[in-house]
Amino acid sequence: MKIRHHREELVRRVGGLTALTQAAILLIAGGYWSVQIAEGAYYRELAENNRLRKLTIEAPRGLILDRFDRPLVENAPSYSLLLDRSLAHDLAVSLAFASEILGLTPEDLDKILASHKGTPRFHPIRLAQDLSLAQLARFEVEHLEHPEFEIQTEHVRLYRHAHQTAHVIGYLGEVTNADLARPGSPYVPGDLVGKKALEGLYEIHLRGETGERVVVVDSRGQLIEEFDRLHANSGRDLRLTLDLELQQTAAELLAGQVGAIIALDPRQGEVLAMVSAPSFDPNNFARRLRQEEWREVLDHPHHPLQNRVLQNTYPPGSIFKIVMALAGLDRGLIDPENTTAYCRGYSTIYNNRYRCWQAAGHGTVNLRTALKKSCNVYFHQLGQKLGIDQIANYSRKFGLGRKTGIDLSGEKTGLVPDSTWSLEARGAPWYPGETISVATGQGPILVSPLQVAVLMAAVSNGGRLVQPHLVQNPRLHGPLPDERQLHLEEEHFALVKEALWSVVNEVGGTGVAAAANDLNIAGKTGTAQVITQERRIDNENLAHENRDHAWFASFAPVEDPRLVVVVFVEHGGAGSKAAAPLARKMYEAFFQGRSSHRPSASG
Amino acid sequence: MRRFSKVDPRIGHLLADESSPLRRLGNVHWGPLVAALALSLIGLVTIHSASAELPIDHFPKQALWVLAGSVALAVVFSIDYHRLLALAPIFYGIILSLLVLVLIVGHSSGGAKSWFLLGPISIQPSEFAKLATALLLTRFLAGIKKPFLTVREIATAGVITGVPMVLIALERDLGSAAMFCPILLGLLLVCGVRWRQIFVAALMSLVLAAGLWNFGLRQYQRSRIMSFLSPDEDPLGAGYQVRQSKIAVGSGQWLGRGYKQGTQSQLRFLPARHTDFIVAVLAEEWGFAGVLVILSLYSLFIVSAGNIAMRGRDRAGILLVVSLLSVFCFHTLYNMAMVVGLLPITGIPLPFLSYGGSFTLANCLATGLILNVDFRRYVNR
Repeated sequence: MKIRHHREELVRRVGGLTALTQAAILLIAGGYWSVQIAEGAYYRELAENNRLRKLTIEAPRGLILDRFDRPLVENAPSYSLLLDRSLAHDLAVSLAFASEILGLTPEDLDKILASHKGTPRFHPIRLAQDLSLAQLARFEVEHLEHPEFEIQTEHVRLYRHAHQTAHVIGYLGEVTNADLARPGSPYVPGDLVGKKALEGLYEIHLRGETGERVVVVDSRGQLIEEFDRLHANSGRDLRLTLDLELQQTAAELLAGQVGAIIALDPRQGEVLAMVSAPSFDPNNFARRLRQEEWREVLDHPHHPLQNRVLQNTYPPGSIFKIVMALAGLDRGLIDPENTTAYCRGYSTIYNNRYRCWQAAGHGTVNLRTALKKSCNVYFHQLGQKLGIDQIANYSRKFGLGRKTGIDLSGEKTGLVPDSTWSLEARGAPWYPGETISVATGQGPILVSPLQVAVLMAAVSNGGRLVQPHLVQNPRLHGPLPDERQLHLEEEHFALVKEALWSVVNEVGGTGVAAAANDLNIAGKTGTAQVITQERRIDNENLAHENRDHAWFASFAPVEDPRLVVVVFVEHGGAGSKAAAPLARKMYEAFFQGRSSHRPSASG
Repeated sequence: MRRFSKVDPRIGHLLADESSPLRRLGNVHWGPLVAALALSLIGLVTIHSASAELPIDHFPKQALWVLAGSVALAVVFSIDYHRLLALAPIFYGIILSLLVLVLIVGHSSGGAKSWFLLGPISIQPSEFAKLATALLLTRFLAGIKKPFLTVREIATAGVITGVPMVLIALERDLGSAAMFCPILLGLLLVCGVRWRQIFVAALMSLVLAAGLWNFGLRQYQRSRIMSFLSPDEDPLGAGYQVRQSKIAVGSGQWLGRGYKQGTQSQLRFLPARHTDFIVAVLAEEWGFAGVLVILSLYSLFIVSAGNIAMRGRDRAGILLVVSLLSVFCFHTLYNMAMVVGLLPITGIPLPFLSYGGSFTLANCLATGLILNVDFRRYVNR
């Protein structure tokens, strides 16, 4: 009974407290009433007149400089037109006004607005960019009449030597939705980000951190005071190993052709020039390419976006004889003097006839002559002795069949065929006759011009496989991985180097077109067949796409190699004619005329 | 009996029997659950809008917390509250050790060292400390079957409340620490205190407050209270928040500026707009109409939970609901009042609306416990 009484007491108190809270809720409702209804108009006005606007402070993107600090890429100002719809009295009038200046129809602008449907009215929308100074002036003059329009200064990339450096530097493009969705993404829709090559790979380094000004503006968009400021951090510069002058020389040499030139320092792998032709103008990309311009680039028959130095692979042709020679010497299968072959214009192996390029034959040749005259017969016999798996082993030692590790993306590995590959990829055993083709760099073997450059660097520097690189800032690529030592006899390298010197500098050498005064160039020509020998007729009479690829791989000076130059001309014909002369001009540009300010490649 | 005449006879007896689970489920007062669900959904929508200018959208995470909270609610609902009360000392012990632990290894956020970081989620033990303290206080006071409490009993209740409160105050989380007062206050008022006790307590708290002001508070805490008393003196300091919040609320007028169209919230005027000032976002975008809707929902929660308390089976049930409801009311009323400038700004979030994992979870648990009391009012023990 007593407990019952207590219970009623408790219930009464709970009831009282509940009632109290309801009174408090009424009181709070009254508070909101007084602020929202009684004084609502006053606060609405405050909200209107007391607006924060976020203004992005752009962080200038880092410059890209060549090895002598000459700018390859800069930033140039560009003006955009923003529209704050909440400040427009009559949107139709505003659009008519703007479209007249911009030379567009109001419908065009309507479309842009429609694509920002979800954006709050007070967030400015970008209507146009790249305004001309005349357009800029008109908007500035009419600012009092049309406070809803605002001019924003931005920076666009200016590629100074656009076509000449496009494949190395890359370009910017609008950020993708996938990039935006990534957690911690610093981007906002419409941002331009590095897409290809160095602009893409070093995006984080080049890109600064955008800052922000938060300002208080009144209802007419006039700035009242600064409220908050987050400073922008500029992007950092990228210093390349590239030598602009050499790069330009290479680009000019390839003008109108399809091909690639790479020049690197064989001592550390610094790339001094890298050109792929045909090229494109990255400035167009920086200005948000129009559809038809895109099509033009994409539909170009020679695919200008491809970097032929490392994204395409080709049969090496006779350049491969360098690998063959060193392999034969290392295995002790050939003696440089006493091992000879008699070339009568072809060899007959496995009941098949394999031709030498010189139908009349080279007569009796030893290793030096075989390299100098690029005799196929000598290497047919050596190939038969080595066998495909040994050939593949030595090719891989020289870095063929895998990426060189250069700081550019999209590098192709190429192909070093062997008997295992044949079983796995083709489902058929290796056919011994193919070994004879591979021995002269034909058949299924594929290499990129960059791989050839690394190979030549290794031959020239006594067997160190360097990692080619384009960026000097050592922090960025980290310590270069240990260069791999090939562990081949010094003496064998000397023999081959001497033979390669004779290719260029002795009468009868295939590379005499590369010979330069006062400079000991060593090199090897290569001619990669596109169609099989049986069907071939005189190269000049072939359709362009069936013509041979021309190679010339070289280094100089022989006594102390400072520069490796590899020239590749797609469907250029014979390496001796189409490629070797270009290499000579590269050396001339590099060594002659270089005076006090460029004492050596390592600068 | 007539009410169930149309029911299949095979289950009819289940419904007829007052102690059968089905019948009892039908008799539970679902008001608090309905209100909690509706408020959580409104909260999610508002958090999404408030996140517009924040580095990340808090909506997905909060949605997961609401889901987790629903599961937690169902779990505590299914265990008889008497068994939970029996375990109260253990919960209390665990939570005290966690509070000590967080002081040592906790993660600091916004000046308060009150978080455990567990991978992607952060846990704030002080939220669960309120529940554990409510349970232990209820257990202690339920045993006293008298119309009024003695001073000794009040002091014991004070110690139970005071220990976790001091620990949390040491974390420099004064807002959370203050939330323990309403638990004690609500329970004492319901259990019965005499006028002279109230008088003495008022005098003591005045002395305590004066001491705290001079020696216990940090400068920023003092400035917050001062700014409340005269908000226009320091427009960009602490008073700035009140002012911006009032502009946001006021500019909503009757029907608001439209979803995601609030200049105050979208343009980053509002501080802590997804947490403590969430209702300002709502008031700006949905106007007085929106405010009335949520006030009605809070009213529904409080009145129906109050009814659950009043028809509770035993003293323990009544007091459990009272203790939980007290915190809930205090959070709700204080936050709503603070946003519109009626009370000083402190870090007190709004139940079910504000973003916050531990807080959402704790409120769901409290709702589950309240429904639990109603579900078991016919159980014979």
